[in-house]
This record gives sequence, structure tokens and C-alpha cells, in this order.
Amino acid sequence: MGTVRIKNIVIAALTAWLIPLGVAKAELPEVHGFLEAAYGYKLEDDGTKHEDFNLSEQRGQLKTQYYFDGDNYLADKGGVISFKGDFLVDQHNDDETEVELRELNLAFTPHDMVDLKAGLQVLTWGTGDYLFINDLFPKDYISFFTGRDDEYLKKPSYALKASLYPALANVDLVAIPYFTPNTIPEGDRLSFFDSFQQGIAGTESERTLVEPTKDINHAEYAARVYKNVGGNEFAFYYFRGFDKNPRSYLDEANRELYYQKLNVYGASIRGAIAGGIGNIEVGYYESPEDTDGTDRMIENSSFKAMTGYEVDLGSDLKVGFQYLYERKLDYDNYKEALLPNDYYWDEHRHLLTNRITKLLNNQTVRVSLFTFYSPSDNDGYFRPSVSYDITDQWKVTTGANLPWGEDYITEFGGMEKNKNIYARVRYTF
Amino acid sequence: MNKIRRIAVIAISFVLIGGGALFAEGLTANEIINKANLASYYAGKDGKSDVRMTITDSQGRERVREFRILRLNIKDGGDQKFYVYFTEPADVAKMVFMVWKHPGQDDDRWLYLPALDLVKRIAASDKRSSFIGSHFVYEDVSGRGTNEDDHQLVGSEGNLHKIKNTPKDSKGVEFAYYYVWIDKANFIPMKAEYYDGQGKLIRVVEALEVKDIEGIPTVTKSHAKNFLRGGETTIDFLGIDYNVGLDESVFAERYLRRAPAKWVQ
Repeated sequence: MGTVRIKNIVIAALTAWLIPLGVAKAELPEVHGFLEAAYGYKLEDDGTKHEDFNLSEQRGQLKTQYYFDGDNYLADKGGVISFKGDFLVDQHNDDETEVELRELNLAFTPHDMVDLKAGLQVLTWGTGDYLFINDLFPKDYISFFTGRDDEYLKKPSYALKASLYPALANVDLVAIPYFTPNTIPEGDRLSFFDSFQQGIAGTESERTLVEPTKDINHAEYAARVYKNVGGNEFAFYYFRGFDKNPRSYLDEANRELYYQKLNVYGASIRGAIAGGIGNIEVGYYESPEDTDGTDRMIENSSFKAMTGYEVDLGSDLKVGFQYLYERKLDYDNYKEALLPNDYYWDEHRHLLTNRITKLLNNQTVRVSLFTFYSPSDNDGYFRPSVSYDITDQWKVTTGANLPWGEDYITEFGGMEKNKNIYARVRYTF
Repeated sequence: MNKIRRIAVIAISFVLIGGGALFAEGLTANEIINKANLASYYAGKDGKSDVRMTITDSQGRERVREFRILRLNIKDGGDQKFYVYFTEPADVAKMVFMVWKHPGQDDDRWLYLPALDLVKRIAASDKRSSFIGSHFVYEDVSGRGTNEDDHQLVGSEGNLHKIKNTPKDSKGVEFAYYYVWIDKANFIPMKAEYYDGQGKLIRVVEALEVKDIEGIPTVTKSHAKNFLRGGETTIDFLGIDYNVGLDESVFAERYLRRAPAKWVQ
């Protein structure tokens, strides 16, 4: 793949796009990116598309920013266009070439106390480490479970984000006109628990996931009000939209699932405590289509809370712990509404996580283990990884994804046939 | 009468000469250290600089880190805020590291990862760990609390004071004591040597170049060498500017997510 050529194409494309805006400049923006090859070897055969691997791809990423210049409104208001896109050759999809746009947005500051960002952007907030209560923005769990870089856990959204900075507290307001679901296992690349197949399913899965139609009434809204008081960060969150996972049934006979409406109200605090960093985050998930929990087809409301603590033990060794509690509300109504053959989920779920990170060899080698373990579900997930920065440009990473569980219907139990070991080589420029 | 006079003259001479040697022209070790702390970490009300860090490992392989650093003094000799905006290498470009320094207690540290739009809080209890893989530690970059050590003026070498510093609490500190040589005129620390419990030299940090910038004596090139791990790091400070009018509002989550163009371009 000719990097220089791709660079030129992107620069040409961006320039062509900017000229009509009357802001073309002789100076070309700086372009960065990487080339990466990744392979994930499957440790079990599970009836997905390929017997041996669930990751085999070559990726080129380019990113650049254009700062508006000259005598125009956007230059005056600190306007910046950000672009990031991936070119992908994917053996999983028969060497198909794909283009994945990850960022294309315009940011500017129309007023001292207001920032605006419009377009395709990655959105993140909340205090968890791989655990999300109030971050209802889309995620890619296929990337997560196959061993792509953490960057790919977050999917971009088409959104308008307004950030306000009055003296009292900071406010983020996000409007998302089009729904983007989480990317979840569907049997093609990763197997999963399919209630219609009554077990772990691969390509034989025939579910249909029905997304909300593109309709102005289906726009999603998210808000965060936050304030840093002497190093302690307080935040309140609001979300109105849809569940990013298809948890509700639309039509059982036709194997149709859908993304039911979801409203979330939450809060968090994060700060230094006992020589480390502590956080607490809670959220009330309201299911407006089934407020009393009596509809067996639709996900109930729930309550979620987590707390975490991370400490630096010295010698480049860090350890973090988290505890997540989830409670399905209106559980009696839910149990009563179930039919005799229905799968059902517990009222309470407890999940513990641990992260250990050690840096070695002048911080060029990173050894890390992230562990999920649920004593209530009897399942878990080990994510060991080792990476080495050979030079400032070359980096190799290897690791494994090892989900396990006693029962197919739990989160990690349903993923247990997706164990893999992976390796990635990346050249950054 | 004459006798008393003579005794008085001798006594005064003794105080002047002997005391001078003992107290370095009237300054105690603590006073020198405090002045050095202010001269090296608190110059001006605020400051900005481009930093180029060249890290050479024990086998001669080089890595380069480049970043823009913004500093604001909240209180002279006390709290400070730092904003570090990385530009090189490419894989960390646009990453931001923010520190609210609180001498005598743990700093508040944040890291912004642009690819994830993630503002991470970083546990910061270990100030003696390597700063981004270099031979400098966090405390070399943002200063070591002057109350962390007992300071003893041990001598004078030319235009330099030599001070021995022994940590009050040896827990979490890789050295047993260190010497620092401080310029008598401008109080810039020119060299520090760190020794282990056996008296073996383990690390040296040196100012290689001091320039007058806007009337403020400033280290523009420094060097650290670690004899335990091998290798060395050189820092070049470029485009240093003081009293640029930084506002405290820059050191907040808003500008982690959206780097302030005025200060980082």
C-alpha cells in the first residue's frame, strides 16, 4: 500500500472539499496515521465463518486536521476540521476493501463560553474502565473481543455537540440524529448465545435486528453537567434514545429483535483517595415501552452502580479494581409475565474487574491483564496483552481473549467459544 | 579596654569569616534550596516552552518525544498547573497530560486520549517513576517538594553552593541522598548527583546551557544519565516565553478535549 499516494489522495480530497468554502490555503495540513497488520487465531471451532481465525486484516489509517486561517468567521472562531479514516483489507470478508470513516467533523468556538462540534465524532464520558453506565454512545464489541486496538471499542456517531462553560458548571449537550447500534456478535465473526437457536450459534443464526427508522422523532439526546471541585469531579448525566444492544423482541416467530427505547439518569464522582483514584457511578435505566416490567418481550427498567479504585504501586506497576452491580427492576412482574419455555435473567448481577499494568524496559514494554469475573453469573473474561514499542514507529502487540462461563445465557458464557490469541504489527507515521 | 576591643574584633572577624563559610554569605541551606526551587520551577507568573526530549537507551537507540508545555503558578513555591500537549512521536500526537501540582501531597493528573475522546484520571503517587520513558523522573520535571528532604550546606565550589539532601522518608525513593550544585548568583541548580545506600552514584542530572530569557536565567538544555539502567536523555527547551498571560481556565477538561489553538499552535 503506497502511503504517500494515499496521503496525497486524502489531502487532495480534503483540499477539494475546502476550496468551495473559500478557505483553501497553500499550506497543506500535517497528515499522520499508521499501517497495521492483525491476525487473531481461534482456539475453538464454533461454526462461524472461518474455522481458524476471527481477525485477519491490514489496515491503514490517516488523520489530519485543518485549522481555518485568514479573514473569515471560522478562522476567527478557532474553527478546525478533523478527519480520520481507515482503509481496510479484510480476509474475513474475502479480501474485501473497506473504507471506515472514523471522524469528519467541524469544531469551533462561537462564543467564549461555548464550543460546538458537528459531524462524525467519537463521544466518551463516564468514569468506568471498560465498564459503561452513563456512556450510552455506540461501541464495537467485535473489535473488543477479537483483539483490535482499544481505539476501535468506540464507534463514532453523527452528532452535534454543544459544550457550555458558564461559571456554575460545565454542560455538554449532544444531539444524535441517526441511531448507531453497538457492533455485537451475530454469528458471522463471533459466536454468541442465540435464544432462537437455544444455544451458542454461529452462521446458522437467523436473527433480524430491527433498528429505529431514520426519523426526526428517533433522534437521541445526551447531556452531562459536570464540575471539578478541587480535583474532585462531579457529573450528572441524562440520555434519551435507544438501547444500543437489541434486547427486546419485536416478532418472535420471525426472529426479530429490536432496540427498545431507553432513558437513563445518572451521576458520578471521581477523585483522589487513599493514594489512588476512586470513582463511583450510578444510573437508572428507564424502559419507557415497558415501565412496569409486565411485557415479557421488552427489556425491563434497571438500576446500575459501580465503584472503582486505581493505585500506582511504584516501579511502573498499576493496579485497578472495579465492582459493578446491576439490578433488573419490577422483577416480580417480569417473572410472572414469562412463558414456561422462556430463558430468563437473574434479578441481581455482580461483576468484578481487575486491571494490572506493568511497564518494563524503559517503558517500552507494556504487560497488562484485564479480568472480568461475575460471581453471580459464574462467568468471566481474561484479556492478557503484551506490547513492545520497538522504535517510535514500530510497535508489536500480542494478547488473548479468553471469555468463559458455566452457562450459555450469561454475558461472557455466551462468548466462551470465541477464545483467540492475536498479534498486531503497527507502523506509525 | 584595648584587650576587650581586640577580643571584639577577633570575635566579629570570626563570625564574618567562619560564619560566612558556614552560612554561605548569610544564606542557610534551606534558603538556598527555596530560592533554587523558585528559580527553576516558578520563573515568571507563567511560562510556555517547546520541549524536545531525546532518549538514548543503553544500546544507543534513540527515541524522540516532543511536546509543548504550559505552566501557571497558582502560588509562588506552592501549587502550580501544567498542560503538556504532545506532538511527537505520531502515535501520541495530540495526547494531553495535565497536572495540578500540590507540593507536599499527591498531584492531580489527567491524561486525554484523543482516539477514544477519553479523559482519564491517573493515579499519581509515584513521583519517582520515569517521565514518559526518559531518564528524567516526574519530580525532575515539576519539582521535588522542598520539605521532602533535610538540606545541608556542605561546601562551596567556585560560584556554586554544594548542598546535600537526605530524604526525610526513604519510602518510595530510589536514592539514599543526593548532592545539588546551585549557582550562587542566580540560584539555578547546575547539577544533581544521586547516590544509593552504598554511596554509589546512580544518576546525574545536569544543566548544560543556561540563557537569559526575558531577564530570567533559564535552563535551555539539560541532561540526565542513569547508571543503573544505562542510557541518557537530553532535553532541549525551545521558544521559551514567560508571562504570556495564561489563564487558569486553560487547565481544565474543556481544553483537554479541545486543545487551545492559541497556546498549542
